[in-house]
Amino acid sequence: MDVILAFSCNPQEQPLCIPDSILELFELPVLFGSVNRTMVYIILAALVVVAALYFAYRKPRVVPTKFGLAVESMVDFVRNDIALGVIGPGGEKYGPYLLSLFMFILVGNFFGLTPFINFPIGSRMAIPGFLALVTYVIFVFVGFKKQGLAYLGETLWPPGVPVALRPLIGVIELVSIFIVRPFSLAVRLFANLVAGHTMLALLLGSGVYFVWTAANGDISFLKGFVVGPLWFVFGMAIFLLEILVLTLQAYIFTLLSAVYIESSLNPAH
Amino acid sequence: MDYSSLLILAVEEGEASSAELLLPAWPELVAGIIAFAIVYFFVWRWVWPNMSKTMEARQAAIAGEVTAAEKAKEEAESLVSDYKARLADAKTEGNSIVEEARQTAEQMRTDIIAKAEADAEQIRAKAREDAAGEKARALADAKSQVGSISVDLAEKIVGESLDAQAHQDLINRYLSDLEKL
Repeated sequence: MDVILAFSCNPQEQPLCIPDSILELFELPVLFGSVNRTMVYIILAALVVVAALYFAYRKPRVVPTKFGLAVESMVDFVRNDIALGVIGPGGEKYGPYLLSLFMFILVGNFFGLTPFINFPIGSRMAIPGFLALVTYVIFVFVGFKKQGLAYLGETLWPPGVPVALRPLIGVIELVSIFIVRPFSLAVRLFANLVAGHTMLALLLGSGVYFVWTAANGDISFLKGFVVGPLWFVFGMAIFLLEILVLTLQAYIFTLLSAVYIESSLNPAH
Repeated sequence: MDYSSLLILAVEEGEASSAELLLPAWPELVAGIIAFAIVYFFVWRWVWPNMSKTMEARQAAIAGEVTAAEKAKEEAESLVSDYKARLADAKTEGNSIVEEARQTAEQMRTDIIAKAEADAEQIRAKAREDAAGEKARALADAKSQVGSISVDLAEKIVGESLDAQAHQDLINRYLSDLEKL
């Protein structure tokens, strides 16, 4: 059960242990020093992204391989639909950042569904927090670089706001753009991953637990061998849903980063 | 132990310490920074340039193929027009040969007819000539005979006595002589 839930107890006595706290689902065992398994997965996600891109673009092929085509379509999607599509012609410059963001988040998310890993690295606040901070720094920096101090004025008082409303709008915009924006960006990804991981652990774990307790005679046969598999089936349905959620969240994070950068570049709207 | 109570316990304790989830763990943050730096550096320095290279290679390949296709099309078109021209030439040539043959045949026909007519005319003329000659010769013969006969007759007339009966007999004899001729 270590495989599914990514946490363990004594497998000789029980197939899985009920965690004392929800936190235990997200705190992976320490390997050595202050290095835990999460950190290994974080580095592994980076290496997987690098390897995938390396094998796709190793040599300039006129006719790509199947794998190359799959990676290329992702790269093209980020470049054309997000970087160029949202930011416009100047978006090429931000392409590498957005592509890194998308690929890293996507691979990290899918670690949650990968057998033997089963842990989305974005469910640790360090990852979405750091990435949201980078996006924040970029869009604020780009705003000041492009527009100077006018960026602050344009952002806090969008054109057409009556003078009387300016203090109110200014406070709202200040809070929403410079405080809530990075936080919401980080929490959106983080919360989705935490919720998904918890759901999967609970449903699949319940399935195993019901069957196991029934096999030990602790609960009735009916409960154990009928309800248990149902939990498991429900868990598998959520598993499929998670595929969608994980992809969507990687996309949303990248898209919003692009939208924020664009709003700093073009203050008119 | 009852399963449902365990679950509730787990959730309650989770809630109690869930704020910890929202705080990044420093070692993981460091790992995240390193990991993302690796990805970004790789994408920035390697993937993006290679992507342009791939696109350029594809552009070149496509452009080359388009050019080659255009060239092949042009060649094919010139070949077709060449064949068409040759075909037209062959047709014209065939027509002219047929026409020439027809003209030759016509010419020959005309010639043969003309020649036949000329021959016939010649034959006719010769025949006419011959006939005229014969006639002239016959006339000449007759003339000379008439002369000699007239002389004979005159001699006879002069040699005999001139009585009516004698004249009459002479004339009758002459005439019967003439008839004998």
